[in-house]
Amino acid sequence: MTTAYLKLAGGYVYDPINGVDGQVQDIWIQDGKIVDPPGPGVRAGRVIDLAGYVVMPGGVDMHCHIAGPKVNMARKMRPEEKRRDEVIERTQKTHSGTMGSVPSTFATGYKYIGLGYTTAFDAAVPPMSARHAHEEFEDTPCIDKGFYVLTGNNHFVMKSIADNEPAKLKGFVAWLLGAAKGYAPKLVNPGGVEVWKHHPRGNVDTVDQMVDHYNVTPRQIISELTRTANEIGLPHPVHIHCNNLGMPGNYSTTLNTMDALNGHNGHITHIQFHSYGGGEGEEETFCSRVPELVEYVNSHENVTVDVGQVMFGETTSMTGDGPLGYYLHNVYGTKWFSADTELESGCGIAPIKYRNKSLVHALQWAIGLEWYLLVDDPWRVVMSTDHPNGGSFLAYPQIIRLLMDSTYRKEVLKTVHPEVMNRCILADLKREYTLNEICIITRSGPAKILGLKNKGHLGAGADADITVYLPHENKETMFELPKYVIKSGIVVVEDGEIREPLLGKTLHVDPDYDKEIEGDISNWFEEYYSIRFRNYPVQDGYLHDAEVVECDPDAS
Amino acid sequence: MTLELTYQGNTTIPLEIEGINPDTVEQLTIAEIEKLPIFHGKDKCVLADYFKVSGDAADQHINLSGQLAGVHWIGTKMERGTITIEGDCGRHLGSEMRGGTITVQGNASDWIGAEMRGGHIRVHGNAGHQVGAAYRGSERGMNRGTIIIDGNAGNEIGLTMRRGLIVIGGNAGDLVGFRMLAGTILLCGESGIRHGAGMRRGSIIFMGDQHPQLLPSFRHAVNYQPEFMKVLLRKLRHSGFEVPDDLLDASYDLFHGDMIEGGRGEILLRR
Repeated sequence: MTTAYLKLAGGYVYDPINGVDGQVQDIWIQDGKIVDPPGPGVRAGRVIDLAGYVVMPGGVDMHCHIAGPKVNMARKMRPEEKRRDEVIERTQKTHSGTMGSVPSTFATGYKYIGLGYTTAFDAAVPPMSARHAHEEFEDTPCIDKGFYVLTGNNHFVMKSIADNEPAKLKGFVAWLLGAAKGYAPKLVNPGGVEVWKHHPRGNVDTVDQMVDHYNVTPRQIISELTRTANEIGLPHPVHIHCNNLGMPGNYSTTLNTMDALNGHNGHITHIQFHSYGGGEGEEETFCSRVPELVEYVNSHENVTVDVGQVMFGETTSMTGDGPLGYYLHNVYGTKWFSADTELESGCGIAPIKYRNKSLVHALQWAIGLEWYLLVDDPWRVVMSTDHPNGGSFLAYPQIIRLLMDSTYRKEVLKTVHPEVMNRCILADLKREYTLNEICIITRSGPAKILGLKNKGHLGAGADADITVYLPHENKETMFELPKYVIKSGIVVVEDGEIREPLLGKTLHVDPDYDKEIEGDISNWFEEYYSIRFRNYPVQDGYLHDAEVVECDPDAS
Repeated sequence: MTLELTYQGNTTIPLEIEGINPDTVEQLTIAEIEKLPIFHGKDKCVLADYFKVSGDAADQHINLSGQLAGVHWIGTKMERGTITIEGDCGRHLGSEMRGGTITVQGNASDWIGAEMRGGHIRVHGNAGHQVGAAYRGSERGMNRGTIIIDGNAGNEIGLTMRRGLIVIGGNAGDLVGFRMLAGTILLCGESGIRHGAGMRRGSIIFMGDQHPQLLPSFRHAVNYQPEFMKVLLRKLRHSGFEVPDDLLDASYDLFHGDMIEGGRGEILLRR
């Protein structure tokens, strides 16, 4: 049975995928989807007059940390934040929750939807802990969500590459994503985490350094996983956290990583943290190398990036990059958590406070902004703070203001460490984003990069995930409190209040693979894993409301 | 005039009266004070549900009376004025307080003066665990101010404290000055084990006749008569804390530690 139409009437519509740039249009919704106007004489069950309002697709956060074991550990590590920060009071329709840099599950859902974001992807879940992530997703309401599966240090992956068995690698990656009900393979410091787990202070310094025991290099891992993921036809082939995150001089590693994609589609994440010049451990020479990296991105269409913007304030760093967590703990002397997920991945968590008077932190902030302002094509760069690593997703409105208002940007630049001016070119950049470009980097672009054909646009057939803003001269004010947020065709938020807390869907892939591979994987599990093969895959019962996003092997 | 809060409840469920301080109520009428929110377990209610409110708050003095052992968070975040408690009180007394004076005639429970930033707390009876401590997860505990307990106290006294003075007139439990960053703890009675574990700086002074066994990561430096002890003890005596004359000229064995954390802290054992 179809439901009555909902009509959003007369708003300024921004829908870059369909070439709509602020024209006044009506949007018709039925059964959770956007539909073509039904024709004259048909009346909508409800009409919302949006004359004077800005209408955009719901926001899509393609890289954040909101569920799974490391997120939950970070919550437990930061009780001091929970005591200090805002409390989410229970209402008749919503659960209570806590904030801090790592909000509780329900609070995460409420805050995302309150900001106009309707989809979010957790960026790093060990497949062995996939159940945990799915269970937390069930408690993260209002938004659609999915997660990337850590594969860059997986022993089976490295062995298949070292043994030159591409068919086995392809079968395993496809099986693993389906078993975890994940969305894309995630590479975190490929090979480096495994070295860290085997050697005191161990890591890899370059993409061509051998990962001992497995006799593969990070470059091989990147190249082979990227090729395989594209062959499988994954909607979002690979999501790469490069080696040497945060290290001075790491831009060359980032360039080599992009080069290792060998022309296949790949996404480099939180690239701000990978864009540094300077000598090893030398604050004196630490500087931005964004222009060189942007030049590569501008000239290679197979590469997309999200920024990982640093915002000043206190937050919690959490990563599958075990050696990075240890490094931060040593630099800042804060508490630290490290984990080893047997044959799959590592983890490091440490509190961090970004200070505007710190040269390093201020330069990180500036380097992030350089990325937004230097990349020619906004479809290739995505807004992210790597929540909560660079800052909270709640800082997105402030970032939008920094991008749309060069005067404000200059004012903030004056308040940071003065040496920043000499270490990057941010002060010379005059570009100001338009609303259309903001729409691209916050929803249409990430939806396209994720291969989500029903999100990020307002054409017929799209999910009716829509955000309505009241225009304001101060763009931070405009974007921090949407007038309406519509999720799956239902008005979930109105004037900042949650009216109808939907649960939201889990988005995952279920790629085909050669079933013969299961024998090898089963033997591998029986020999090395602490869990049996038949108990490993996440059963359908763990997914409350799932949508399988199709793979397209012919697209590779 | 004093604001009189007389507990009239009869409940075993914790009652939390955070935020009812001399500085927050001084401008309020009795009727307004009666309506201030408090928590009975998880349920929000008003002060008048459990307390008889009388007197006047204008002089920034509150007097609490009745069976207050189940009443918690008294004087939390207090900035000025005085609170007097006739009898016992519950946990988190003077938590995060920044100024003013709290006096307890009876015993107090755990977390007295946790993360306090200033002010003065005096307990004439015994105290519980974690006096002047950091709450779980926090980087720093007490960071200025004075806490004087006439009786005994429990474990983890001065946990991660950064500044300030804690004086325990009686005995204490284990881990006095655990992970202490700086500040001073003076203990007059006997105590348990593992004191000063992980301390970076600061002073822990054991005045009792029975010396605790120190961790092997503390190294003996010297036996001496530190001048600051005379100043400290005279100041305590001046505040009404009983200090026998012979202690003023006592000598002490000085130990440096915790060597695992650089060895810049000190433990003094009175000879």
